Amino acid sequence: MTEYIRPKWADWADKIRSLDDPVLAHEKPEALDDLVVLDMSSRSMAGCYCSSMLAELGAETIRIEPPGGDLVRTYSPNGMMHQGTGLAYLAEGRNKYHVTLDLATEEGRDIFKSLIAQADVLIETYPKGQMDEWGIGYDELSKINPRLIFTSISAFGRFGPESDRRQYDYDNVSQARSGIQYATGEVLPEGKTVEEMPWAVPTKAGPWITWAVSGTFAAVGILGALHYRELTGEGQAIDVATPEAYERLNDYVLHWYADQGHVCERFGNLDTCLWLYGFFPTKDGGVFLGGLRLEMWKAFVDILGKYDEWGAAEWTTLAPFMKKDWQLKYQTMINPLTLQYTSEELTQKAIEYAKSGRLAPITPVVAEIVPPGKTMQDAIWVERGIFTPVQDPVYGDVVVAQSQWKATETPPRTKWVCRPVGYDNGYVYLKYLGYGPVKLGELNGKGVI
Amino acid sequence: MTEVFKDYVKNKFKKPAPLKGLRVLEVCTLLFGPAGPSFLAEMGAEVIKIELPPLGDVTRSLNPFGWFYKEQSPMFMHINPNKYYMALDLHGDPGQQIFKELCAKADIVEFNLRPGVTKRWNIGYEEIKEVNPGIIYIEKNGFGQWGRYAEESRPSNDGAAQALAGYAWMSSFPNRPPLKQSIWICDYYGGLMGEVAVLAALHHRKKTGKGQYIEMSQSENIMRTMGWIWPYQQLTGKSAEPSGNRDQCICPADTFLCKDNQFAAIAAPAPDEFKGLCKAMGKPELAEDPRFREHTTRLKDENALAILKIIADWARTNTADEIETLGIKHGFAASRLHNAKDMNENPHRRDRDFVKEIDDPMYGKYVEHEFPVMMSKTPPKIKWTVRPVGFDNEYVLQKILGKSMAEIDELHKKGVVGKWKDMQGRRPPADWDGACGAIIRR
Repeated sequence: MTEYIRPKWADWADKIRSLDDPVLAHEKPEALDDLVVLDMSSRSMAGCYCSSMLAELGAETIRIEPPGGDLVRTYSPNGMMHQGTGLAYLAEGRNKYHVTLDLATEEGRDIFKSLIAQADVLIETYPKGQMDEWGIGYDELSKINPRLIFTSISAFGRFGPESDRRQYDYDNVSQARSGIQYATGEVLPEGKTVEEMPWAVPTKAGPWITWAVSGTFAAVGILGALHYRELTGEGQAIDVATPEAYERLNDYVLHWYADQGHVCERFGNLDTCLWLYGFFPTKDGGVFLGGLRLEMWKAFVDILGKYDEWGAAEWTTLAPFMKKDWQLKYQTMINPLTLQYTSEELTQKAIEYAKSGRLAPITPVVAEIVPPGKTMQDAIWVERGIFTPVQDPVYGDVVVAQSQWKATETPPRTKWVCRPVGYDNGYVYLKYLGYGPVKLGELNGKGVI
Repeated sequence: MTEVFKDYVKNKFKKPAPLKGLRVLEVCTLLFGPAGPSFLAEMGAEVIKIELPPLGDVTRSLNPFGWFYKEQSPMFMHINPNKYYMALDLHGDPGQQIFKELCAKADIVEFNLRPGVTKRWNIGYEEIKEVNPGIIYIEKNGFGQWGRYAEESRPSNDGAAQALAGYAWMSSFPNRPPLKQSIWICDYYGGLMGEVAVLAALHHRKKTGKGQYIEMSQSENIMRTMGWIWPYQQLTGKSAEPSGNRDQCICPADTFLCKDNQFAAIAAPAPDEFKGLCKAMGKPELAEDPRFREHTTRLKDENALAILKIIADWARTNTADEIETLGIKHGFAASRLHNAKDMNENPHRRDRDFVKEIDDPMYGKYVEHEFPVMMSKTPPKIKWTVRPVGFDNEYVLQKILGKSMAEIDELHKKGVVGKWKDMQGRRPPADWDGACGAIIRR
């Protein structure tokens, strides 16, 4: 290992770090600390993810669950529980106050309306019609609080022919409906069946990406609505359909069919649009290789030692390489070559090439495809604050991803990970309704909380 | 709730956009950079896309298997609607000065350059803050502005972020090579999350007058979406492993091969949903089976695999559409897998105006996705698509900086601002009439 020499512009890096290192986050103000958010998500983590975004920015976020808790608390790999809470909710209960409330009771709805009168944002994920049936739909709540930003995140949205389907929103079903899963996955070789190769099928993303995307779009919508409210004093209703939110991130596929009648199909670990761009095998696993400019692709060929043999000096455009047949041809030429190296060797070769290669400083992108266990140990992410454990008063030290962006003034931060069911009933109902222990005891007895 | 969205589509243009009055500058290329400002433009902000003349954004060259739309990259069109197009040479002092003049009159500025480049171009945060202390300044790139990878100036792409975050690893079948997503998820999602940061910063500025500097990494943003994986690894000391289409935290939740060789996704974890599914399968007794009755027990790997096998066998005897219909009837979530044809033809998407036709002055009518947040008082809307490199130079320079046409001509002559190169994706489409879409026509 050669000695690491910092670049000439290291003073810039140090300067920025001194301003936005996440270790300083708790000394800084919070962007949304003037807001009260009510999160009554049910079964869907999209709402919880949305409210996390706001809570990480300082909004006082009150999570309302039915007595006994929401189903999302049971979501966990192999059913594993940490002090009674599933691992998924351990990550997404963060920074929220947790209360229980039975909205099926008149008294519960009355309490809810008191909270609404004092809130800025409501987030809910019920199928359409449920809120109206309880008498707490937008029409009713906007009368109580015209400034309310009433946010619904659901499987089919709040209008349109399919919106009357009373089904809850689940990530895997939304992935299927978005059109993205269809075109992602290994290609089934001709003559083979799915029974023989059950992995060569349309494949969804592992993480709950549709929930994260719809929750984040909703957060952007809420912040936009807040901007408008500051100008006019008016709240409004927001409608996000989870499959649509994710589908918006699908690029040219819609247009391609509209114009050419072309249905985009799976293309394995290559990319329909890009060259050099894909996953390739190595001695100990695999790497991502990227070279979207001709020079970067040439640099990669040079690293492989094929610059002269393949005639790279003569290439003047990337265009033919993007075609399907050339992609497949070059894939079969590259695979045996990358297999001669470990992922780390190839990564280092690219870094070295940037210093001393024929086309330096141009170099291809090389990145090892790692299991998330390795991601969590990578010193770079640890140093940048992603995996700093949260010191939770109830659940102990817990690692959840945080500090997802850095900022000089109002960075996001995670203060606690979760709370047991109804943990904050005492605090929240006292603060917002003036209910002391006697009244709470009564409500508890009646099953309202 | 139904009432508030009645005639939403019909009345879209009778209402203002949410981000009216905001001005955004972007110096971005490819996807991670331009995606975020696009979302702001769709929400009504005035977004000026600044490219380097005469080639501009690299995305203008990209295409699926050689298909261009009227010579333009369909990717570039999808990711850059509603913007104004300016081409400014930021390598030299005159261009940098103009950029600063624009920054003085902007609210937000976005970059996706390698670390240290903005400083080299004399338009780093420190310099811009001098001319506009309230500016919200965001830089997006592979590894942020500090730390070993940033200092090595490692290049990055969406695929690299998928690889390094463990996202690809978790999106594969067990014992198969890790699988790349067909979409550029870290780019698009990172761009979107960047706007949460930016809009929250805007809210803070309204309260305090203070702007700020934000940095977003292509890999770090996607790690945030990976929820349970991190506490699982911490608490068990093991690396999380993938499970194909099976959701490891929700059961049943998987994709199934159907009688018609199509696929259907099903989810039914709640008691009412699980009972509904068992009933639909003609096996109501399964809902009371001690292995399956409680969700947390059902999630145990051996039980999960057992119930999924039962569902898979049943699914193979029904068409995907039949399963979707049974889902509606029995109250569990189910959908046939949609593809590009469904995206275009499904009436629900059209009725919601989520899939809609744009009537563009330069590119004509084409089909596009609307911004996926429907807002009752302030509907976001896509109105127009991309323009040639430097197409709106005159408009931007005159409207915002008050430059005369003579001054603008001089800037063009000196190469401070520029126009498109005569090549695919940079110049106007061949059938363009020379005027349509131009705001200032000389």
